[in-house]
Amino acid sequence: MTQTNNPLPPERLLQLDDVNVHFPMREGLVKAVNGVSYHINRGEVLGIVGESGSGKSVTARSIMRLQPKQALDAGGSIRFRRKSGEEVLISSEDRQSRTMRDLRGNEIGMIFQEPMTALSPVHTIGTQIMRTVMLHRNVSKADARARAIELLTKVQMPRPNDIVDRYPHHLSGGMRQRAMIALALACDPTLLIADEPTTALDVTTEAQILHLLKSLQQELGMAIVFITHNFGVVADIADRVAVMYLGRVVETGTVDEIFYEPKHPYTQALLRSIPKLGGQKARRLKTISGTVPDPFNVPPGCSFHPRCMRAVGGICNVTTPPEVRFPNGQISRCHFAEEFRSEAAE
Amino acid sequence: MTVASEKAEAIQDDTLISIRGAKKYFPVHGGWLRKKIGEVRAVDDITFDIKKGETFGLVGESGSGKSSIARLILRAYDLTEGEILFRRSNGSIVDITSLGDREMREIRREMQMIFQDPYSSLNPRMTILDLVGEPLTIHGVGSPSEIEDRVAELLRLVGLRPEYVSRYPHAFSGGQRQRIGIARALALNPSFIAADEAVSALDVSVAAQNINLLQDLQEQLGLTYLFITHDLGMVEHISDRIGVMYLGRLMEVGPTEEMFSNPLHPYTEALLAAVPQPDPRGNRERKRVALKGEIADAMNIPTGCPFHPRCPYADSKCKAEVPALRSVAGGRQVRCHYAESLDLTGVAAQ
Repeated sequence: MTQTNNPLPPERLLQLDDVNVHFPMREGLVKAVNGVSYHINRGEVLGIVGESGSGKSVTARSIMRLQPKQALDAGGSIRFRRKSGEEVLISSEDRQSRTMRDLRGNEIGMIFQEPMTALSPVHTIGTQIMRTVMLHRNVSKADARARAIELLTKVQMPRPNDIVDRYPHHLSGGMRQRAMIALALACDPTLLIADEPTTALDVTTEAQILHLLKSLQQELGMAIVFITHNFGVVADIADRVAVMYLGRVVETGTVDEIFYEPKHPYTQALLRSIPKLGGQKARRLKTISGTVPDPFNVPPGCSFHPRCMRAVGGICNVTTPPEVRFPNGQISRCHFAEEFRSEAAE
Repeated sequence: MTVASEKAEAIQDDTLISIRGAKKYFPVHGGWLRKKIGEVRAVDDITFDIKKGETFGLVGESGSGKSSIARLILRAYDLTEGEILFRRSNGSIVDITSLGDREMREIRREMQMIFQDPYSSLNPRMTILDLVGEPLTIHGVGSPSEIEDRVAELLRLVGLRPEYVSRYPHAFSGGQRQRIGIARALALNPSFIAADEAVSALDVSVAAQNINLLQDLQEQLGLTYLFITHDLGMVEHISDRIGVMYLGRLMEVGPTEEMFSNPLHPYTEALLAAVPQPDPRGNRERKRVALKGEIADAMNIPTGCPFHPRCPYADSKCKAEVPALRSVAGGRQVRCHYAESLDLTGVAAQ
């Protein structure tokens, strides 16, 4: 990609250009991430939505350089702007490199779906936060402990002075997720990667965690890459949205553009298939025909064409669609994106 | 067969299942001698009817007891107290809590369950023919060749190709496995199906297909569903009536549209407000008060109304007195002292 040689614009925090991650398997090569490009500016919330197998988590893990060991980097660049202003080419860094160890937990924080597996079960919440702080900052144990309590207060943990000495199994699901957010924020990261952080939670707890993340994001000015399969959640938290399907970003735009003027048939069809609360009572839900193809047999051309109502033989099943850019900045990877210009979402 | 004749008079003509004062307490053991140190009130004083041919939705957060209710109806658990009346296809009414194993086995032909996880609920070593045909074999219905025909018919019914009978579950996607589970549940022509989070593990586009299938089957076969889920959008779409559960108790029961547009219980209001909608502008405009605190520990249920520590409208009465589930206008029931005086916000129909 030619863009790789240009410096990042000043507001840019992270930029992915044509990233490919492949998995060699006995059954064949799985192109889990197949030419993904997206970017995030300082202080922005980017929502990544897609069904299972779309590559949203693998992409996020390769930003952290924590992709599974058998994964192959098959090209593309991931660039990140450090707090110092300096640009790093993350994609050329090794999982264990000094730079990555310095970035992870310090400038880039991460929270996961299941806090019970992400937190250590044999260390107290306080110890886990203190270790991160002491690893990246030159502080005393007492100061690190004070910082841990401060962070637990910040994530609105009830009784932070008590919880700091508790183990993860003492906490409820919502409190564990708060503890993990506190841990991720320990060193004031400029970027937080949140991979389905509310999926395992109940709706009322989910609402609390989303509210907390939004207020922390505004207070601390950090950027968030928020990965989810839930369109309601993404509508609630994101400024901009990237929709993924089978290892590709099929559409990006502001949250309003994606929800009210989607310009890719996949986005349009997905939005129609979700029952909305208080929506009109239709007897049947609109569906997308077929299922997500298995990753060993990704259809040629546009990978969505076998399920697409608008697919045209000879074009969609042959040529991979280019990125169609609209004046408002919205991007759709569809041969016919121009034709949806005037069409509003139902 | 026990025909509860005196009870039969109390059950309405259009009712298929009537659950009355159902309680299920699980003992909790601990300490050196594993003595009973407490109990979890998974289901506490639940009363509601499921009408013939309707879809009754049960919603609530984890630990609210909604799955326990399905398991009580199918007698996977025995009730601690209460009764569950079931109208059989021959018209007789039985209290399933009083039946022996052999009688219960007969009843189970008429009531079946669909499970959440299509990956763990199908035996990976059985072919589709064995899986879907197993209920028929167990109940001794038909010869092997008849079973084969019936399985092919069932697969067609759920939109799978009958040629797939000799395959194993691993060859199918999540949505297809769920359909195999549905075919298996339909094998004995049940009148009632409990679907426990039946589409929760599926991707959006596939969930919509399976929901449509369940609705088509209901129309074709006259099925009655108990649809259990935590997804309020889905439950609103599929249900005729809904019950909202919290900590083992029913907080509100009523017709879907009325309940969602005009909830009577503060917990229903809070649940509806908590759901993020696929509508960014709406989310910005909607006042969304995040509920305080968390669901109480099921071993230490708060005194009075179990919801009072989190309820923005609670007062001293709520702390002291357990509200009863009482009937109000419009065929609705609510368990709140102040249901009439509160003006609660629902989700407006667009």
